[in-house]
Amino acid sequence: MSTSIPYSHPILKSNNTIMRLFWLGITFFFATSIALNAQSNFTLSGYVKDASTGEYLPGANVFIKEILKGTSTNSYGFYSITVPKGNYTLGVSFMGYSEYSSAVNLNKDQRINITISPKAIETKEFEVSEKRIENNVKSTDMGRVELSVENMKRLPAFFGEVDLIKIVQLIPGVKNAGEGNTGLYIRGGGPDQNLVLLDEAVVYNAAHLLGFFSVFNSDAVKTVDLHKGGMPAQFGGRLASVLDIGMKEGNNQKYKVDGGIGLIASRLTVQGPIKKDTASFIISARRTYIDVVTKPFIKSTSPTKGSGYYFYDLNTKINYRLSDKDRLFISGYFGRDVFTFKSTKSNFDIRIPWGNATLSARWNHLFSNKLFLNTSAIFSDYQFESNIAQTAFNFKIGSGIRDYNAKMDFTWYPTIRHNVKFGANYIYHRFSPNNASGEIAGQELDFGPKVYLYAHEAALYLGDDFDITEKLRIHGGLRASWFAQVGPYTQYIKNELNQKTDSITYSQGDLVKQYPNVEPRLMLRYTLNKNSSIKASFTQNYQYIHITSLANQSLPTDLWFPSTGRVKPQFGTQYSLGYYHNFKENTWETSVEAYYKTMQNQIEFKDGTLPSSSINDNLDSYLTFGKGEAYGAEFFLKKALGKTSGWIGYTLSWTTRTFPELNNGKKFFARYDRRHDFSFVLTHEFSKKWTIGAVFVYASGNLLWLPTSIYFMEGQSVVNYGERNNYRMPAYHRLDLSATYTPNKERKLHSSWNFSIYNVYSRLNPYFIYIETSGSPLTGDLKNTAKKVSLFPIIPTVTYNFNF
Amino acid sequence: MCVIVFALGMMQACEREIDIELPNAEDLLVVEGSIETGEFPKVLITRNRGFFNEFPTDLNTFLTEFVVTDAVVTVSDGTISEVLQFTIDPLNYPFVYYTGSTIKGEVGKSYSLTIVSGNKILTSRTQISNAVPLDSTWFGLDPFNNQEDSLGVSYAEMMDPDTLGNAYRLFAKKNSEITYFPVSGAHFNDDFTNGQKVVFFNGQGTRPFFASDTFVPQEFFYKLGDTILLKFCSIGRNEELFFNTLDAATGSNGNPFSSPVLVKSNIEGGLGIWCGYSPTYDTIIATN
Repeated sequence: MSTSIPYSHPILKSNNTIMRLFWLGITFFFATSIALNAQSNFTLSGYVKDASTGEYLPGANVFIKEILKGTSTNSYGFYSITVPKGNYTLGVSFMGYSEYSSAVNLNKDQRINITISPKAIETKEFEVSEKRIENNVKSTDMGRVELSVENMKRLPAFFGEVDLIKIVQLIPGVKNAGEGNTGLYIRGGGPDQNLVLLDEAVVYNAAHLLGFFSVFNSDAVKTVDLHKGGMPAQFGGRLASVLDIGMKEGNNQKYKVDGGIGLIASRLTVQGPIKKDTASFIISARRTYIDVVTKPFIKSTSPTKGSGYYFYDLNTKINYRLSDKDRLFISGYFGRDVFTFKSTKSNFDIRIPWGNATLSARWNHLFSNKLFLNTSAIFSDYQFESNIAQTAFNFKIGSGIRDYNAKMDFTWYPTIRHNVKFGANYIYHRFSPNNASGEIAGQELDFGPKVYLYAHEAALYLGDDFDITEKLRIHGGLRASWFAQVGPYTQYIKNELNQKTDSITYSQGDLVKQYPNVEPRLMLRYTLNKNSSIKASFTQNYQYIHITSLANQSLPTDLWFPSTGRVKPQFGTQYSLGYYHNFKENTWETSVEAYYKTMQNQIEFKDGTLPSSSINDNLDSYLTFGKGEAYGAEFFLKKALGKTSGWIGYTLSWTTRTFPELNNGKKFFARYDRRHDFSFVLTHEFSKKWTIGAVFVYASGNLLWLPTSIYFMEGQSVVNYGERNNYRMPAYHRLDLSATYTPNKERKLHSSWNFSIYNVYSRLNPYFIYIETSGSPLTGDLKNTAKKVSLFPIIPTVTYNFNF
Repeated sequence: MCVIVFALGMMQACEREIDIELPNAEDLLVVEGSIETGEFPKVLITRNRGFFNEFPTDLNTFLTEFVVTDAVVTVSDGTISEVLQFTIDPLNYPFVYYTGSTIKGEVGKSYSLTIVSGNKILTSRTQISNAVPLDSTWFGLDPFNNQEDSLGVSYAEMMDPDTLGNAYRLFAKKNSEITYFPVSGAHFNDDFTNGQKVVFFNGQGTRPFFASDTFVPQEFFYKLGDTILLKFCSIGRNEELFFNTLDAATGSNGNPFSSPVLVKSNIEGGLGIWCGYSPTYDTIIATN
């Protein structure tokens, strides 16, 4: 069996004995599975789909009631169960859907496609998946959370826009960076350490409007799946987490229109069958309209006429069932933020557009009732551009990243004890760090030719979820990854003043530097009794692309940069241990997870680097490298079922960095080190018409690096900084409330009103702190004052949602 | 970052003054030292001060609380060393400094600086490089056309030598002023312009302790009729990096979206700069 995994042997040679034993173990499991297969077993397989929309349902529990064993459907709604010949009851359970069960006389392989119907709204449970058989106590997943988008709409919405990233930020272990920031900081990792996928395409910047909104339009999203702990082998390329978002496929039964009218943005979604039961489409669009609404009120003589800001995004998807064994999905996302500023008085004109584009084409093929293949071809692109023009002066700077990605992912169900995933992935990256051009008084400024960096990234993986005994289940996985920077590339040789003295030129396709690595993933679950289990995991990950940022916040200007000769891949090791206990027939779920993480080859800019430094130069010569450490514990209590549902999460955590060239080599707390993080989420259904929701969050303040002293240089005051991140901002806390009114469900036009109050007690949370210097020492009134800026006081909003 | 400007526009209503308790600042010495072709070295040593502390209200307090008067300051050109003496010079900036009477700056020489004060020892080294003259200078009206008709800037054109690593700094004064003041932002290196013709324009020099909350065109531009005196100096690349990061630090002061810019000092054991200047001089009469 081992020969089916190329790359394994040469790489294993470079690793230790533990790895080799691990690999032998996996081979052994396959051997046993083949042996078991020799008995007279038969396979039940098929798809699970929603009866009303025809959409396939990933993550549904499919099980044999007699033996209480089963599986969950994969990302495309496929399941396969192999059991000995006999009479069984096949059951399907999925959150928000009526239970399904039917008698099966299994004496040959059978294909059973199952449709299940959504339950009436009043009995719908809360959002985190409730799994009867494969629940949180039973699975090997650690730090995995799935969310249902439909139920998010009952929670308070900021400015009326339901934002799934903001809901994800309420899960323990996931932190935001404060008000209006969609950056995710997971278990002490940085914002670039999360793999954010939309229909398998990487979304490099998930933020609109500097992070006040995420790029995910909740009307177009079907599933949200977060892995913050043990990352299974099919994912890689990031240290901290995977946020896997799946778009709706489009209703293949009937045409449907959904829409929402909010205070700052409106949404419209149209979906329907192209050919009933065979093909369907969905188109979803969203645009903000602050600029449109304010336009009539801006006088034509206004000095800033023409200034404005808007963002829009568009999601589309079509799917086609080619045969019982083949399905095709094509989906795309396109979004742009556009900021413009005009000043007629000073002849000043700025236009800054930025955004993502993705395109995924996927083909599902069933080789047999046990072997499922998905093949994907994916394009992702993120671009940022800034154009500044003034009389006699013109400046343009742009950056971005573009990927061409091909993937093959197999799911194999050899026996009921195994769920095997294996596959291969290849990405061709093109990075464009700061490319500038400009002219002044007609004279062209020489910033050198446009610089692009190119790289190949590839991976092979194998992972198996395996019941060793009734009580012990493991997920064992291996991921062999490889990254290579290739030409064209000009590497500058620098002197001690960081001036270019010579250069090495690589032609197209020439290898600049390569990194082959092996990443083991191991998760264990041991069942203590029907309601409780302990789990442990050990995972290692490599990350080959990095965000380099000079700013304190995640900004659209953040640059993605590849591993090069100077920049080594980030390498993370995570150990976690958890205890899970469910009460009252899984109505209440509790868990405690503790983790310890180390991160090698972390990246920061050297002290004294300026935003302009890297123009016409190798950006990596301005970087410095260090290591990181993170540890903490996460407590989670959730009520998943009933009229009142929600959760309470608490995280206690630490995260530090040590860089020889920064902070005099002394260890310092990372900017997003956060000691306490508490969240409370609740919804309650009063009646068929009224549902209320509440969210409360409390978090220790972010760290800032503030100046500690001031001095004079040539008669001007200059600030001097002390140790890094020496000041913790005041704590962040906030309460949001919402009420959703759903009148007259019987009508054809379904509508609902969401009334939200953001920041109910108008807590002025610090968004940032800045220093204002006023006066002059000569007049004797020179003074530094710290100012706290808060973004949002209490904000009530109303959103009208409809569908027909 | 104009995106930020927009964001700021949204949030002005929610701004509050807050009290911040910062960790105690380390006591540091700040060096403002120069040695120029044909001149004795000048070294001003001051202290830093807690960030939210009161500032001196008069020159006297400034001199007694900020200025270090009891340091042993030694300059050496490799063969001779000289201990500098503390001097008061009210007509110039700085008003007080340590200066010598033996060593004068010479092109091509390297100068080390050692300062001993209390238990602190500060060291640095700089050099005086070849002067690069301006090829031509002239007065031109405000290139942005924003201001009144009579206001303008000085223009200068120079040819950068064909060796990498040149750096420059411009000082200016007008009419009967005694001291040349550094022109804000007027320093550059040849990273992008090596061996090329460079044209640049500038406003007036920055007076010490001049800090105006609002932009006053008359304090920035020259006006028709002014006599403009330029002092254009070659400096070291490291020294230029100091002024470059100093500008950025001043520019980003308090900007929450940028990382703190650390000023790249060339003083071991302290803050500030020890810079060799190789000047050439030009005069412009501002006419239309």
